[in-house]
Amino acid sequence: MNSEASRQARFNQLAEDYGADLYRYAMWICGNDALAKDLVQETYLRAWKALDKLKDSKAVKSWLITILRREYARTFERKVPRFTDVDNVVVAEETELEPDDRAEVRMLRQGIMKLAPKYREPLMMQVVLGFSCEEIAQHLEISKSAVMTQLFRAREQLKTRLQKDGVTGNVHELF
Amino acid sequence: MSMNFSEFKKKLGAEPLSDDPEFRAARESSPEFEAAARKAEALEEKLARAFRLPVPDDLAERISALAQQPAEAPERRRWLPMALAASLLVAVGAAGLVWNSNRGWDSVEEYVMDHYRHDGPRTISRNGQSGFDEVQSLFATFDVEAAPALADIVGVIKYCPTPDGKGVHMVLNTVQGPVTVIYMPETSVQDREVLAFDDVEAVLVELEHGSAAIIGTRNQGILELYATVHDAILPLPDRS
Repeated sequence: MNSEASRQARFNQLAEDYGADLYRYAMWICGNDALAKDLVQETYLRAWKALDKLKDSKAVKSWLITILRREYARTFERKVPRFTDVDNVVVAEETELEPDDRAEVRMLRQGIMKLAPKYREPLMMQVVLGFSCEEIAQHLEISKSAVMTQLFRAREQLKTRLQKDGVTGNVHELF
Repeated sequence: MSMNFSEFKKKLGAEPLSDDPEFRAARESSPEFEAAARKAEALEEKLARAFRLPVPDDLAERISALAQQPAEAPERRRWLPMALAASLLVAVGAAGLVWNSNRGWDSVEEYVMDHYRHDGPRTISRNGQSGFDEVQSLFATFDVEAAPALADIVGVIKYCPTPDGKGVHMVLNTVQGPVTVIYMPETSVQDREVLAFDDVEAVLVELEHGSAAIIGTRNQGILELYATVHDAILPLPDRS
């Protein structure tokens, strides 16, 4: 395989391995499908240009998220409209869920969107991207203990919201 | 040193799936710790499900295709090649990323204004040229078809909510510039009613099956599109 084909193959693998996580993460920070796609596009375009500089394969996801967050701050943050797609998303797989489970998913999504960014973002990084507290601390440029406090508070707020909204099903077993 | 219950709960709240040996030992130390851990894992499953938004089926392919795009100014870049634009939007709409239609608009007029304000300019900005087949595919969902006079000038097309269920949101590439048309398959309107709001105007069109709203800026002459839209969205032949 020549170098150009090899480079394309490597890029294709990045798309396969991390595209979904990046799109979901972008959706949660943008709250808007069109902007999330633009953000993912810009991230991967920059990644393509800088692909040869990526030496540590273990750092790929972190590297892509760094690009995405910078692009968001630089270009998209001011474009996010009030109206959000995530807030009103109706998911195909919800039709396979029981009504109580559907209500619970909706409540959680609304609760997630209502979290202050300082609680939502570390939670997104942990749950969507699978980052450790150390990795989250690095991205957010705060201490690990601050990350753990914010994660704890994020979950407590979500549990409180579920309880307050009276979602039935097995939610009561969480308290 | 073993954790007390308070420390254990804090750890559960921050890293419920931690494989830290001290944390795991604490979990195994008593039924109370184990029960708390199970609850935390249950919440974590629910969180993971809530965070797991649907992803376009061909996302990886479209990202891979980015490497094939010619270099151009960032503002001219498109998310994917033209031929895929409509199918992506169809796929996204079909996957359920739809605007919640249970907002309960008091009138069709309110709906038209609300919908355009939230989604009109953004959809126009996507640019594109949809294929004839993609256009017919969406319309066929509602047992209607689009005549070539309309189908050939559809740029962007996607599903959208309407007061009475799912409909179609289109951007037509006209000589006067992009014009929005919203097709409402189950909604009746006052035919030829004109709305003026913000810097646009809309004309409502009662169709043989459903209705439509044509929306554009005041200098685009959208009334001239009335006949095109009225005559072009027709029931499929086996329903006539």
